[in-house]
Amino acid sequence: MTRIVVDPVTRIEGHLRIDCEVDGGKVQKAWSSGQMYRGIETILLGRDPRDAWIFTQRFCGVCTTVHAIASVRTVENALGLEIPLNAQYIRNLIVMAHAMHDHIVHFYQLSALDWVDVVSALKADPAKASALANSLSPWPGNSKEQLKAVQDKVKNYVEAGQLGIFTNGYWGHPAMKLPPEVNLLAVAHYLQALDYQRRVNQVVTILGSKTPNIQNLAVGGVANAINLDNEATLNMNRLFRVKDILDEMSAFIQQVYFVDVCAIAGMYPEWLGYGAGVTNYLAVPDLPLDTKGTKFDLPGGTIFNGDLATVKEIKSFQDPYFKENVTESIAHAWYDGDWSKHPYEEETVPKYTKFDDSKKYSWVKAPRFQGKVMQVGPLAQVLVGFALGHEPTKRWAVKTLETAGSVAKKQLSPAVLHSTLGRHAARMIRTCVISELALKHWNLLAENIGKGDTAIFNQPVFPKGEQRGFGFHEAPRGTLSHWVVIQDGKIKNYQAVVPSTWNAGPRDEKNQPGPYEASLVGNPVANPELPLEVLRTVHSFDPCLACAIHTLDPEGREIATVRAL
Amino acid sequence: MEMLEPVRVLGLGNVLMGDDALGPWVVEALLAGWEFPEGVSVVDVGTPGLDLTPFLADADTVLLVDTVKAAAPPGTLLVYGRRELAGRSPLPRVSPHDPGLTEALFTLELAGAAPRDIVLVGVVPERVEKAVRLSPPVRAAVDAAAGEVVRRLSQMGLPPRPRALATPPTPWWERAADFRIELSVRA
Repeated sequence: MTRIVVDPVTRIEGHLRIDCEVDGGKVQKAWSSGQMYRGIETILLGRDPRDAWIFTQRFCGVCTTVHAIASVRTVENALGLEIPLNAQYIRNLIVMAHAMHDHIVHFYQLSALDWVDVVSALKADPAKASALANSLSPWPGNSKEQLKAVQDKVKNYVEAGQLGIFTNGYWGHPAMKLPPEVNLLAVAHYLQALDYQRRVNQVVTILGSKTPNIQNLAVGGVANAINLDNEATLNMNRLFRVKDILDEMSAFIQQVYFVDVCAIAGMYPEWLGYGAGVTNYLAVPDLPLDTKGTKFDLPGGTIFNGDLATVKEIKSFQDPYFKENVTESIAHAWYDGDWSKHPYEEETVPKYTKFDDSKKYSWVKAPRFQGKVMQVGPLAQVLVGFALGHEPTKRWAVKTLETAGSVAKKQLSPAVLHSTLGRHAARMIRTCVISELALKHWNLLAENIGKGDTAIFNQPVFPKGEQRGFGFHEAPRGTLSHWVVIQDGKIKNYQAVVPSTWNAGPRDEKNQPGPYEASLVGNPVANPELPLEVLRTVHSFDPCLACAIHTLDPEGREIATVRAL
Repeated sequence: MEMLEPVRVLGLGNVLMGDDALGPWVVEALLAGWEFPEGVSVVDVGTPGLDLTPFLADADTVLLVDTVKAAAPPGTLLVYGRRELAGRSPLPRVSPHDPGLTEALFTLELAGAAPRDIVLVGVVPERVEKAVRLSPPVRAAVDAAAGEVVRRLSQMGLPPRPRALATPPTPWWERAADFRIELSVRA
């Protein structure tokens, strides 16, 4: 029996430690531990609920937008406040631009190097790589000359011994299997993705006036004054700049990201068999189409035991099915007590004891739905959408399985999605769906303004006494919910149950492992000193412990230490 | 903020984490006390990790303001140049946000969009833990850090002008918890 400790797991975000027991070349048991204290919600106590979103978006430096959106929805829910249609559409466009940005960054900048061998790209024949790419996609950025230029650039870095950002990669690892030409294409797209993720962030900046940390929200709506002829407001010029960017993003996502994920999934088909773990799924609906939040363009619900027939829909921002079934357990987390409570009733009292995998071993709480462990994230989003017959989700999922199957030369059924590469595929499917819906919501906004509706804000009013509210947002990493108790216009309690808490959380009072922990069991590990396979599965969740914990690492440890004990 | 100017002053840090608010605090102090000429953007960017990339891309000069980890007393002002920031792994432990900064710089270099020059104006923190105020030595260093930024911009031929009616900076995160409450409750 070998014990592997990987700490931290992420390349740049947050601070997550994974412990695995390996025997016979496979992971037998795993523990996921958040290594930094959270509890930042207590800063909100006693504050004006209308200001909460400004603070919550500083919880995490990377996922700022999602905490802002969840927070205004939470206070609006407590007050029963509807918001104008324009405000919904503007928020939806921000949410979608952020999601496209986040998913592209995750795939190319944060996890592609788990699958792509940069050094191998030097051996590629650019002409062959270009021919291969052109057989799969009409994308204009795959010419022989462009690929040759990328190869020369990487060569210069390798020869100068300056691989810098890539030095944490695992090149030459026996688990790296892509042919040199595919590696070269992936490196070329890694560089192009940098440009596109910057471009789509422009949408958030135009509508939100700044990112990270958008400025245009308000409890009750948005602060984007609409006047098509005014230089200083949301006008024709800004609207069309948004549209141009959304068109460009659709092309990149559907012609590059789609193809790359299908190729990797088809060339690593064994990874469609590992990493399922928890097959209970939770996603909340998003992209509201009415002022109340009862009709949505992205569906939400639950699935249990991987059985799509069990799907139960979450139908509105008020749905008691969500409100009444969420709890958090601290049985194995470093807080005082061993309770399991509803977020409205929780308190956050830290009590650190040493890392003991049979007792307490994480700063992350363990959220549960009806007492069950749930996996959240794009895979949950896609499976729930698929089960509920959501047309664009079904169409892109089928197209993905067909394309990856043709690369793998075998038929792929939706069941392969319960896996490590299934999570990457689902993230890409979701991004394709969003790239279409973003254009739809742009049209909805333009048409609504065209009808003469310029309303953006409804004034919130706080009654005396106590109100409770919850708000959710289906963020790029999965279901995010905020919970508030307001007393006489001031915040009395505030809790954020974030996606990485659902996925990275520890065992609960019944010793049920969390999704990261369960997904690692059965993973192969060829070399315990270089546990690339462990990283592949954990990275497939897009971990952002910056959010579950926070972004600082006062020790400044930049490089993962791997200890095989 | 839709279009960034070629010279950028970026305050980095988490305003909810005590002295880590130094960068955003200096941005507040600069905007309260000075008017900046065309060609200069002054922005509080939070702790964006790799999302720092667009703020650095295609810039001429970037002046970063941040807390730095160094063997010096809290409140000490330290200035680092490009070479110290763009070092290769293992990285010099300059700032808690290093992973984001160094990776962003490297990817931009690879993409051909790295800033021509970059300077870090740093202050050694006393406490980086959940709190919405600076420790006294770090609070005392805000003016010196802001002054360093003003001096460097002036050297570059882009001198900020002192505001005629300068007001003391009041960062939103340090305002009292009950700020605005009186207005909002209906009896």
